[in-house]
Amino acid sequence: MQATETFYDVMRRQGVTRRSFLKFCSLTATALGLGPAFVPKIAHAMETKPRTPVIWVHGLECTCCSESFIRSAHPLVKDVVLSMISLDYDDTLMAAAGHQAEAALEDTIRRYKGNYILAVEGNPPLNEDGMYCIVGGKPFVDQLRHAAKDAKAIISWGSCASHGCVQAARPNPTRATPVHQVITDKPIIKVPGCPPIAEVMTGVITYMLTFDRIPELDRTGRPKMFYSQRIHDKCYRRPHFDAGQFVEAFDDEGARRGYCLYKVGCKGPTTYNACSTVRWNEGTSFPIQAGHGCIGCSEDGFWDKGSWYARLTDINQFGVEANADKIGMTAAIGVGGAIAAHAAVSALKRAQVKNNGSSRAPDLEV
Amino acid sequence: MGGGADRKGETRRLIAGPFNRVEGDLEVRLTIERDQVVAAHVNSPLFRGFEAILAGKDPRDALTIVPRICGICSVSQSMAAQHALAELQGIAPPPNGLLAQAVVHAAENLADHLIHFHVFFMADFARQIYAPRPWFEEVHELFAAKTGTAVRAAIEARATLFHVMGILAGKWPHTLSLQPGGVTKAPDARDRMRLLATVRQFRAFCEKQLFGAPLEEVAALETADALQAFAETGGPAYAKTYLRIARDLDLHDAGLGPPRLMSFGGYRLPDETVFGPGLLRDGRKEEIDFSAIAEDLSHSWMLGEAAHPARGETVPDPQMCEPGYSWCKAPRLTGETVEVGAIARQANDGHPLALAMLRDGRANVHGRIVGRLLEIARLVPAMESWVRAMDVSEPFILHPRRIEDGAARGLAEAARGSLGHWVTVEKGRIAHYQIVAPTTWNFSPRDATGAPGPLEAALEGAPVLRGETTPVSVQHIVRSFDPCMVCTVH
Repeated sequence: MQATETFYDVMRRQGVTRRSFLKFCSLTATALGLGPAFVPKIAHAMETKPRTPVIWVHGLECTCCSESFIRSAHPLVKDVVLSMISLDYDDTLMAAAGHQAEAALEDTIRRYKGNYILAVEGNPPLNEDGMYCIVGGKPFVDQLRHAAKDAKAIISWGSCASHGCVQAARPNPTRATPVHQVITDKPIIKVPGCPPIAEVMTGVITYMLTFDRIPELDRTGRPKMFYSQRIHDKCYRRPHFDAGQFVEAFDDEGARRGYCLYKVGCKGPTTYNACSTVRWNEGTSFPIQAGHGCIGCSEDGFWDKGSWYARLTDINQFGVEANADKIGMTAAIGVGGAIAAHAAVSALKRAQVKNNGSSRAPDLEV
Repeated sequence: MGGGADRKGETRRLIAGPFNRVEGDLEVRLTIERDQVVAAHVNSPLFRGFEAILAGKDPRDALTIVPRICGICSVSQSMAAQHALAELQGIAPPPNGLLAQAVVHAAENLADHLIHFHVFFMADFARQIYAPRPWFEEVHELFAAKTGTAVRAAIEARATLFHVMGILAGKWPHTLSLQPGGVTKAPDARDRMRLLATVRQFRAFCEKQLFGAPLEEVAALETADALQAFAETGGPAYAKTYLRIARDLDLHDAGLGPPRLMSFGGYRLPDETVFGPGLLRDGRKEEIDFSAIAEDLSHSWMLGEAAHPARGETVPDPQMCEPGYSWCKAPRLTGETVEVGAIARQANDGHPLALAMLRDGRANVHGRIVGRLLEIARLVPAMESWVRAMDVSEPFILHPRRIEDGAARGLAEAARGSLGHWVTVEKGRIAHYQIVAPTTWNFSPRDATGAPGPLEAALEGAPVLRGETTPVSVQHIVRSFDPCMVCTVH
């Protein structure tokens, strides 16, 4: 495990063939929306760049992010990505236990000082000096600060690390706190969702490892390549929304016909995520396709906005005075109105992004 | 922080943990004399306070919150909540709804068994300490963490199996389609065919790689001798590799549990419960007295008195006072510990092989593993029959009713054992919610009488080899329970 080892070396050592490696490069290019011209570039980068180590730590969480991650659609991608990060530290999957595991963590931090990526699953609870989550006899918040100090960038996996998630729901008994409120001096990439989609996770980490830079982020810190569209924008039930055809209850005729779920609480119109395009469980489906509305699990505060089954909700993250009452009422009155309300909100949204200027994060330099 | 061993004469203390390859955080404090464990204290160092979060919410929101207790048994949590809400609403799903729920639930439980065996449990036999054993090379190639060929095959088989989740549940983990009245997804004939094809594909993995034999043949094994004979005949298979190791290492002598095994009953179908409920006390079957369940707090960092979960509170003690040493409560049935899990489920269902695995009515490391393997062999064919029994022209869900007031309990069998939710609703809001999870039973701390929890008792007497800082026997015993710590303390 010399410092000069490349990704390609690691993969070969882990039994990935040259052929599989090249296949991986083209899959990566496709997954990231890059043209075929990028395939040799990716291959060259992987063959020549020293491997970037990843340390994966777990705070207050339910491990759903890891569970999602190991079920990525393409077994090759998962294999390769796992082999890339396997040499370092992950307390759910790694082989070493107890003090060996702790030693592996310390060793990676020391050896790759300033050059490793810290992936955080879960978040630190701050009440009672962090005693609600103890790792190796110390509060997790200490481990997090310690591991973050020499990291080159941090990935906040899932809604816990990015936003707090349901464990931070009122009354937030342990004061579960998202990572960016504790670590303020490092670039943080938020990959929200409860859990995030496997392909989104592998896509983000592959991009960072391959190109040695942070993907382009939106103003809240999410990678634009996966979080720039609402579920609603690409929802296959969207024509029913536009036609004013709604499910009123899970057992009605509209439900059987696959009408729009907006009136049974769907948060698709206000949720930025890739569920309706990438889908879940190897691309088989997503909640709306299984007849249940989106609960907006990748949006900040989704846990404290009133019942998920309430029909109309405020969509205040647009930062404008339009709320769901207006949109919902127009939708109920007529199709044209609904589209108009939508268009208005979308236009405002676009304007907002524009005014916000470039949010591109600086490239990482070693 | 493993390894903090200080020698004082012949007694030494050792902290084993954080345990890798378990769901959530776990720490075990061992007291060792000479070459064996004489006392063990199990700590769950993670607390989130879900019960406090649920209070005051719309009861339906429990369906979104409780799955997030756990990223690996989220469907079991949904099922328990959903049963409680159905009871409060006074409805029961139509036959299709029950079948679809059972298929989703079984897929999760199968996946957990699969991962436990291939990823969490077997890796310990690939440790260097076993290098002299004749089976070591084979095990290392198959089960070494992450690189083992069986590990990869199992992860892939699981991803395929989870197409079931895609088709019926939309997303996993944290599925939303399970509702008190059934499931929100009404599969059509095409979905039904895909479901069947997916389960068949999983069956092929089990028959070819895991067992090397038809599932029906495995499910028909009835005695320990028949099981050993099975291990020694036919082509290679992952389960056979394990069975040979188990015999070599006498795993049936390791980690004895209490002589009380409990199951709340596996899968509710229109006419029956598959894997029926019960309590097996000293090998004799009894009915469970639900009123006799109480959670003891004497050794937990919790404030309050021991109470039935319908009344109990979860108030953490910020001072973390002695003699408390865990966030986990200590559930007891008529004041006694019970063990839950696949072996308890199969033994309570009266399967002869499961009963043959018990030693004086107690589960053990070997019995727990065989219980899971047996359950895989029985569950896959059952799932196929459930999918076939779905009538896609009939409804999959009933209309829900509003809940104003009432109290109910929701019971389910997670992969790791009995899970109960106790809910009280007042004026349309959750007034009280208590959850007792499988690993809460198995990994509970001591109670007021000083009696250790099932794992703590099972660890007493475990051998410790010279110089071991993470005793391998302790690893086997702890992992044989397949702990899920994030459910344990929620």
